[in-house]
Amino acid sequence: MLPGPCRMAPSTFVTERLSRLARPGQEFVECNIVTTSPSAPIVATGLVRHFGSGDSLVRAVDGVDLQVEAGEIFGFLGPNGAGKSTTVRVLTTLLKPSAGSATVAGFDVATQADKVRRAIGVALQDAAIDPLMTGRELLDLQSVLYGIPKSVATKRGPELLERVGLTAAADRRVGTYSGGMRRRLDLALSLVHEPSVLFLDEPTTGLDPMSRLTLWEEVRRLNREGTTVLLTTQYLEEADQLADRIAIIDHGKIVRQGVPRDLKAQVGSPTLFIDVDGEHVDMARGILERFGDLRPTSEGKLGVGLAQGAEAVASVIRTLDEAGVHVRHLELNEPSLDDVFAEATGYRLEGADQ
Amino acid sequence: MSSGSAILHTAVLTRRSVRGRLRQPAALTPSFVFPLFFAALGSASFSRIADRPDFAAIAPSFLNYAVAGAIVQGVLFASTSAAGDLATDIEQGFFERLLASPVTRTSILLGRLGSAMVVAVVQVTIFLAIFLAFGARIETGVIGFIGLVVAGALLALAMSGLMSGLAIKSGSPEVVQGAFPMVFALMFLSSAFFPRQYMTGWYQDVATWNPMSHVVEGMQGFMNQPLNVDQFLRAWLIPLGIALAAIAFGLRSLNKRLAAL
Ligand SMILES: Nc1ncnc2c1ncn2[C@@H]1O[C@H](COP(=O)(O)OP(=O)(O)OP(=O)(O)O)[C@@H](O)[C@H]1O
Ligand SMILES: [Mg+2]
Repeated sequence: MLPGPCRMAPSTFVTERLSRLARPGQEFVECNIVTTSPSAPIVATGLVRHFGSGDSLVRAVDGVDLQVEAGEIFGFLGPNGAGKSTTVRVLTTLLKPSAGSATVAGFDVATQADKVRRAIGVALQDAAIDPLMTGRELLDLQSVLYGIPKSVATKRGPELLERVGLTAAADRRVGTYSGGMRRRLDLALSLVHEPSVLFLDEPTTGLDPMSRLTLWEEVRRLNREGTTVLLTTQYLEEADQLADRIAIIDHGKIVRQGVPRDLKAQVGSPTLFIDVDGEHVDMARGILERFGDLRPTSEGKLGVGLAQGAEAVASVIRTLDEAGVHVRHLELNEPSLDDVFAEATGYRLEGADQ
Repeated sequence: MSSGSAILHTAVLTRRSVRGRLRQPAALTPSFVFPLFFAALGSASFSRIADRPDFAAIAPSFLNYAVAGAIVQGVLFASTSAAGDLATDIEQGFFERLLASPVTRTSILLGRLGSAMVVAVVQVTIFLAIFLAFGARIETGVIGFIGLVVAGALLALAMSGLMSGLAIKSGSPEVVQGAFPMVFALMFLSSAFFPRQYMTGWYQDVATWNPMSHVVEGMQGFMNQPLNVDQFLRAWLIPLGIALAAIAFGLRSLNKRLAAL
């Protein structure tokens, strides 16, 4: 790792330069160089990654600005195909950016890839673990590749296996592991060199609720020990529970970024979801509109952000009843990340009644 | 990247690949069984050519004659299969896992080639032990034995290099396995299974042009003739030359794949 002062240098340099450029009485213009601190473990500026060309051009990552601070758990939330993995691949040097730049652990991902690799731990979403090797063999291999002295590796390997609960399975071939065991081994593998920055691409997708909680706990523990974590997820709850800050990505663009609590507060009003008979939908929609802005819902429902807060529910019901609209189902939700997502993208990530 | 870590990385990846080979008996066994089976079949059905009076100039017995062909066949088969494992790595994502680490990039390729060579050394030794047990004898003695083992290793390097290049280029185990019949055809158009002296017409012309004939004949020399520098030139230098070209092809494919990321 670079020592702090060295990494601070560019920032001081830039500020000095800018102050020299500015004439007396002139104000600083807010710009990316000043606002993004190079000391942050993950900084992406205008990051773009395309695939293909011409008609088949896919803008997988389309201008992403990110800054993850030291010691944070940063949640990268988005639906399938949003560009989460592509962003992670670029940040972990597995893909080159088409435009823009990024530094990880203080090193440029494009020009100092090898330094980045030594500083970070990576658990990819779909990088298979060689099924023919045992957990222990894979840890040994990983240790050699990261240049860890054998004396250190022989101590740390068993510790890591213990930590992820794989001691008993350590000498079994990975091909016989369950999905949850593989994920845990994957985590252990990403930790052999005690990285300061950890990337976890959908670490809990496909895990049962129990295993998910175990993994969350492990991520929290690593974070308490000082590891900065960027994790991607499709689960609102995971982002909400685990992350200090989140970014919501959709179609390659970050549409919201911040502390979950603040983002929810920005949505403000609670959402009322109702379910009515088909012939009454239009009428009900007209009535709901009087109480606030309509919000996206999952199929066959109506949703409104109650401008007057939860107290308005009684009048909504009364008005619907007076109009002869039969309400089959009703649900009031405090602002959630789901609402944040819906407000930002115009659709819901999961069922609205989740 | 220091050459020390390149060697270390190649060594651990070689060990990993060898383990992988040994743990897939279904993939490895055919390269041991088929050549020996063909040799046994040949001894039973072609051995009449050994009755020709001029055969003595080629080999003391059909069994002795068949050794080199069996070795070449087995080594080419096993080396293709080793390169197939590299394609599987790429297809299933282990390759990407390696790329995420500070591994010396070339070691990913060289580790595969290393494992093919290790397997070939073991394979040639086992083959020779079996043939000797059935009555074959190495005319050039211990030096010939070493000559054959080294030739097998170099041939493995050449073949796994070519096929690994293809594996890296295509990223598909099917493409690699699909290329094997071509190698098999090349073998049939050589003196691996039938002496070139007994061929006629275009068959003989093709076999004479086919470098495989000369590798096989170099190896047959170790088995059947007095020690001769020509044996080393053909059994070692030809595979070595092909191996160097193959490694260049493999590295180029690797660099291309990495550049396209
Ligand atoms: N190698 C590639 N070649 C072409 N298109 C790609 C490639 N990798 C990703 N894409 C496309 O880029 C877009 C973003 O994919 P990405 O894998 O980053 O999404 P994601 O958010 O990780 O999705 P998921 O939740 O399904 O993992 C998708 O449309 C995908 O099809
Ligand atoms: Mg993904």
